[in-house]
Amino acid sequence: MAKYVGQRVKRTEDPRLIQGLGHYVDDIKLPDTLHVAFLRSMYAHAKIKSIDTSEASHAPGVVAVYTGKDVAARVGPVPCAAALPDLKVPDYRVLATNHVVFVGQPIAVVVATDRYAARDAIDLIMIDYEELPAVIDVEQAAKGGPLVYEEYGDNIAYKLTAGEGDIEAALKSSDRVVSQRIVHQRLAPIAMEGRGVLARYYPGEQELTIWSSTQIPHLLRTQLAIMIGMPENKLRVITPEVGGGFGSKLNVYAEEALLGWISMQLGKPVKWIESRRENIQATIHGRGQVGYIEMGCNNDGTITGLRYNVFADLGAYHQLLTPAIPTLTGLMLSGSYKIPAIQMNVTGVFTNKMATDAYRGAGRPEATYVVERAVDLVAAELGMDTVDVRRKNFPAPSEFPFKTATGLFYDSGDYEAALNKALAMADYKSLREEQKKAREQGRLIGIGLSTYVEICALGPSQAMPAGGWESATVRIEPTGGVTILTGASPHGQGQETSFAQIAADELGVDLNAVTVIHGDTSIVQYGIGTFGSRATAVGGTAVFIAIEKLKEKATNIAAHMMKTDASNVVFKEGRFTKQAAKAASAGAGAKPEPEPDVPVGEAPAGAMPEPEADGKGVTIQDVALAAHIARDIPPGSEPGLSATYFFEPTNFTFPFGTHIAVVEVDRETGDIKFMRYVAVDDCGKVINPMLVDGQVQGGIVQALGQAMYEEIVYDDQGQLVTGTLMDYAIPKAAMVPWMDLDRTETPSPVNPMGVKGVGEAGTIGATPAIVGAIVDALSPFGVRHLDMPIKPETLWRIISKAN
Amino acid sequence: MKIEGTHEVHVAPERVYATLIDPIVLQRCIPGCERLEKTGENAYSTTLRAGVGSIKGLFTGNVRLEDMQPPRHFRMIVDGKGQPGFLKGAGDLNFEERNGVTIVSYKGDVQIGGTIASVGQRMLQGAVKMMATQFFTAIEAEAKTVAHEPPPKHGFFRTALRWLSGLLRR
Repeated sequence: MAKYVGQRVKRTEDPRLIQGLGHYVDDIKLPDTLHVAFLRSMYAHAKIKSIDTSEASHAPGVVAVYTGKDVAARVGPVPCAAALPDLKVPDYRVLATNHVVFVGQPIAVVVATDRYAARDAIDLIMIDYEELPAVIDVEQAAKGGPLVYEEYGDNIAYKLTAGEGDIEAALKSSDRVVSQRIVHQRLAPIAMEGRGVLARYYPGEQELTIWSSTQIPHLLRTQLAIMIGMPENKLRVITPEVGGGFGSKLNVYAEEALLGWISMQLGKPVKWIESRRENIQATIHGRGQVGYIEMGCNNDGTITGLRYNVFADLGAYHQLLTPAIPTLTGLMLSGSYKIPAIQMNVTGVFTNKMATDAYRGAGRPEATYVVERAVDLVAAELGMDTVDVRRKNFPAPSEFPFKTATGLFYDSGDYEAALNKALAMADYKSLREEQKKAREQGRLIGIGLSTYVEICALGPSQAMPAGGWESATVRIEPTGGVTILTGASPHGQGQETSFAQIAADELGVDLNAVTVIHGDTSIVQYGIGTFGSRATAVGGTAVFIAIEKLKEKATNIAAHMMKTDASNVVFKEGRFTKQAAKAASAGAGAKPEPEPDVPVGEAPAGAMPEPEADGKGVTIQDVALAAHIARDIPPGSEPGLSATYFFEPTNFTFPFGTHIAVVEVDRETGDIKFMRYVAVDDCGKVINPMLVDGQVQGGIVQALGQAMYEEIVYDDQGQLVTGTLMDYAIPKAAMVPWMDLDRTETPSPVNPMGVKGVGEAGTIGATPAIVGAIVDALSPFGVRHLDMPIKPETLWRIISKAN
Repeated sequence: MKIEGTHEVHVAPERVYATLIDPIVLQRCIPGCERLEKTGENAYSTTLRAGVGSIKGLFTGNVRLEDMQPPRHFRMIVDGKGQPGFLKGAGDLNFEERNGVTIVSYKGDVQIGGTIASVGQRMLQGAVKMMATQFFTAIEAEAKTVAHEPPPKHGFFRTALRWLSGLLRR
């Protein structure tokens, strides 16, 4: 029985964070720091005829003002890593020179002695704009409309068809076909900490250090080295505490490169801390798809095919992964069902808006929403219970690895087990009876289900734009502490705790003896970062295997210390002992008696640990010290005690589960109240149930936000109307229902620990359950679908009209 | 954004109309107006300190009057920009006499951009109504002033008092 893995270990990160003792970018104060403010476009689409910075340059405290002309030849474009055939990639400069294409696009930058002086001087820059017609609606943009880029001749960035099977034939031969237009509205990720950058250049050493609130320190370093044109090994990226990312910091932003470059110009540290208004207008948005579903089915509920024609609202420029997000939607269109023919036709469309990119789930919530809404439509069309339609189309556990018509192999799953557990928890039968009775009384109760599957542990390098592996170094210091360097970049997920749990169990040390270091490119070996629910399944596996390597090394040294052969050495609970060879072969009571622990740190520094003489064996700390002093290690062996492993996964992992939402809609007001929320998630082997619960809860809350509250709104001129948290509604604590959470555990065969990932499950699984419940509540009015965010006003109108 | 409203001004339409196209009077009556210069026939350039909530700043812009039909109608075209954003729009003003009172009705479409759009939009209707009330209350005081008398003084408190006493009178 593992001492830590599988236990509800409290996050070791939390004491510092809840006491306000953590260090975020803005908490890092360097002497002589200058502060930066950005002038951003107030037009969605305009030509810049002239920029006059003379007054701003002479304002009090102002050190420098830069415009696009100053940097165009010296800082490279903002990169897009998504490679799609015939993709149009506009030249996205860090400052606009003569053409602005969205509200919030940086045009000029002021550097001043404090942030207020910088902000005030922004108002003194005079820009002569010539306004151009803007295109905002994605379908209108796809058809023609005003052009974001004249030179392209249309607003189509790319077109892509994905899927297998003869969809035409499948739909034609089906008993019925349900169809629906659906909208995945644009969302703002709203990390609690906005973006922030601090850059410091040492002209003597020619070293540039960039502190940035990012999810991908190493990828950022590589991209910034290219953008700024400096050797990557002179560039250091540090991510201190990061207050949430949700994908919005899985990116390379203009501001990050610019600050680095400015620091090099001025030879002083420069800092920029994003305001919430900047965050909503100029940090990537999520979702933004308008699509048309057609699902074929037979009268017995068998699904025969799915077609999804979708317009993806890319915004005006590609950020790092913008055009690739809808491809993830295409991959997951089979959901948890056997669908013989699937086709997705994507049209990626430029609009005069901020770019969309990865937001918690990144393309997969869209897929799950499409499939789950379609299945509900099938059930409504056939007059079947939604549970029965789902059950009918699940692949059986024996069918795994399960091949989908989207070209994936689902690693492992038992969808029915999770469904049954959730149905039992919610007492589904009674719920339906209660609903029936309530309807007779005129009350509107709705039950919604989502039996989702998602794709995690991104991913094999073949399927990724820039490497899908992850790295870890594990070492034991001379005084016995265990240090883990992970290439993942946790920013709220709690891997300082869960990775320490893995190491503590595997090395038989106390949890407190393990320190997890991440997010500093000068300390940690190259890594990929934290996104796509990958840190534990890929990064954690790298830690696990690095520990195995380290133990192998340690075993050899321990054997040498005990003057025996490595094959005779047993490692258990932190101690190497000589195998009692005869007892072991005799079988009975073979377990060597554990001896009382020698406390860590008892051996005086520099002293040689006593070679094993008394049968107690040696601790792994003894071995670490011996390995560092290296006076007596096996001949030809490597001193020190550390191991590094770069883990390349062979497949993605596919967590799944069932979410059930029960709501009551108020007939008088349209107000939506939750009666129950049940979630059974299967994320494979669980390392820390408390962390998993936290991830699931947070995900459900964000899904709830999309289902009922959140929506980025641009007016028809491209002005951002939801520019503050007074206008953009994220869920508050009082809006969140109690959640009954449980799990099933189907290990993944893809990695030795059997873990799958859970960071995005809630956001992916919950949205269709909530929407399904509200639609179900309104079904007496003939409602089969409602677009998000579903507001009481919409429901009130439907109810009032019927009365 | 559509804006629409009506105001009662207790002066004859001819007098209201004349007041509304007098740049000197206008400068005194428009809340936050720091400068109003005639640049041509029925065209003015102006500097205005205005804002909504915390979003305040200096706007410069042009105002043009068209379709002049004294004393019943004119159309106003506005175009301005400043640090908090820009606005442009056009609207119709109609003047109708009813029992010795002029009913001023305005209806227009205004497009706003920049910070003022992303922060202030939801408060803008209210702000416009408040400014219109201030403006027409001041216009009424101006229109009532007999020739050669010193012009009335305006400002937030005087206007508020006039507006309140106007309400009581009704």
